[in-house]
Amino acid sequence: MTSGGWVYVTYTVAALGALALYLALPRGRASHRTAGFVFGVASMAGLLTVLRYGLGDPAASNLYFLILSFLTVGGAVRVVTHPKPVYSALYFVMVVLATAALAVLAGAEFLAAALVIVYAGAILVTYVFVIMLAQQSESAAGALTYDTTAREPGWSVVAGFVLVATLAGVILERPWPAAEGEAGVAASNALSIGREVLTRYAVSLELAGVLLLVAMIGALAIARKPVPTDEVPPPDETAPPGETGRRVRPF
Amino acid sequence: MTAMVQDILGSQLGLSLCFIAVSILVILTAVAYCIYFERKIAAWTQDRYGPNRVGPLGLLQPVADGIKFILKEDFVPGRVDRVLFHVAPMVAFIVAMIGFVVLPFGGRIRWPWMEEGTELLLQGASIDIGLLYLLAVGSMAVYGVVLGGWSSNNKYAFYGAMRAAAQMLSYEIPMGLALLTVILATGALRLESIVDAQVAHAWNLLLHPVAFLMLLTTALAETNRAPFDLAEAEQELVGGYHTEYTSMKFALFYLGEYAHIITASGLLATVFLGGWEPVPFTRLLAGTTWGGWLHWIASSTSPLAGLVRLGVFGGKIAFFVFVFMWVRWSLPRFRFDQLMRLAWKGLVPVGMGMLAVQGWLLYRGTPVHWSAPVAEVLLLVIAGAVNVASGREITGRQASLLRAASVRGEVGGTPAR
Repeated sequence: MTSGGWVYVTYTVAALGALALYLALPRGRASHRTAGFVFGVASMAGLLTVLRYGLGDPAASNLYFLILSFLTVGGAVRVVTHPKPVYSALYFVMVVLATAALAVLAGAEFLAAALVIVYAGAILVTYVFVIMLAQQSESAAGALTYDTTAREPGWSVVAGFVLVATLAGVILERPWPAAEGEAGVAASNALSIGREVLTRYAVSLELAGVLLLVAMIGALAIARKPVPTDEVPPPDETAPPGETGRRVRPF
Repeated sequence: MTAMVQDILGSQLGLSLCFIAVSILVILTAVAYCIYFERKIAAWTQDRYGPNRVGPLGLLQPVADGIKFILKEDFVPGRVDRVLFHVAPMVAFIVAMIGFVVLPFGGRIRWPWMEEGTELLLQGASIDIGLLYLLAVGSMAVYGVVLGGWSSNNKYAFYGAMRAAAQMLSYEIPMGLALLTVILATGALRLESIVDAQVAHAWNLLLHPVAFLMLLTTALAETNRAPFDLAEAEQELVGGYHTEYTSMKFALFYLGEYAHIITASGLLATVFLGGWEPVPFTRLLAGTTWGGWLHWIASSTSPLAGLVRLGVFGGKIAFFVFVFMWVRWSLPRFRFDQLMRLAWKGLVPVGMGMLAVQGWLLYRGTPVHWSAPVAEVLLLVIAGAVNVASGREITGRQASLLRAASVRGEVGGTPAR
């Protein structure tokens, strides 16, 4: 089959996946989990076929790769379909860990460690933290409707399909450079990434740094209100009880 | 048979697997005995006897404790999140146990039956990003605490988990900065290379004293030990995140904490105390009689020297474990705002300064230089001076809060100026 033919196979696979996700998304009582699971498995099998025969990647027959990719994709599906937000966040952690393991399989140790430290160790901890603050482990009201019903499942699935199909198409069409020899791997992973980032992608790195700084200052500006306790009026005269101390109005 | 054993021990994979198997046993025992020593050191600090009933000197106390833990009822309270309630202790323990593999325990050895010039590493795994691996594993430790606290459906446990999450996130940053300083100086993420660099030059303790203090502080915070044990502050939170846990599930949290301490001690010993080198500057002692022995320990590839190096490294770990316990029974607990202020206004700025100094030294082409310790101590002095000049104690109560409280009449006296 030509590369063009494989692109259409990929689109079909992505459409199958989108259908599976649409069926699996929580819809209160009337959920189609089983059908979604069947379509999902079909989509995964199609994906592996494309990988093995379309791209000719031997990784598709590697047992570890299979297990890890199933964990990643399955975890990602559960992130959006699980009715409990805390479990969604924990499935996200699983996706990150499995992705890091895939990076190790591909020889990108530094990327794997950075992924775990930044995403699993910092960002997702704050996610879990905030979700836990919002919800006790067993609420008295039982499962809440906004957790058990997907909002706009059709449109989000279509958007996801377009994204995945485009990415997969580009990956198939683009001639990828052959992997560098063992010498490139032997020279330290961190060293080569550092060299690339600080020479070829130096401007992008600086831009990302500036962006983060701006975001941080913006967050501080929004979050921090002055606490003018120096000019707190004497409690007995001007202010009625209950309004002493902070005189901050949020808006 | 002999040939097979020689083959297994002579390959790096076989040796590493044997080493991991033995070290898991040793570490599990050590973790159990850590609890015994914790109680003995507490008793010593407080002028008591400590455990002395089971066995000579109470040495069988950990066995008795273990039997007791197993025989206790494993109770699951009502209305907990059952899955996460069971998963949390496993996460805490597993994460604490997998950090050991990358620690460079014994350096390079060569068995007598091996060819000349071939060497094996006496450690679990030698990976290119060893330090990052330890950081990644350490950053996962918070999940055990957070999940345990949340799934218990108990407000005290949940407060403990919240505090732990905020604390671990905050102290990871200064920890990273302190380690980055050392990484810049040695130019390596591989832990053996860091030890080799220290054998070739000087211990990082001498080159980066302030980074050492910073890593020690953050290691105390990351392992949730006093003075940073707000997650399990008994006076306020009953038991903190493990309030609802009983039997072996509680024991897993408890053992995980000590396993974490041992890993952190190993990290400190590797990065700052020259790993398996018995004393600093052994390369200069090669000529003298006793110094010659020390040099042999640090550099020989004979299995005997490797064994001695294991002992040296274990001794350093034991020393740091003792320091952790010593600190716990000597210092009072921080308040939460003091904790946050120490991290964000104290450790992070000083760490940034250290990183800048070390970066400049690297730019000059002299990553290992006597000016590094001088500059770091100077930085510490400047930070102290800024603190004094600003008139605010870094661990003091926020002045505005105090004034507001006094206006509300919650504290006596007139509003402070």
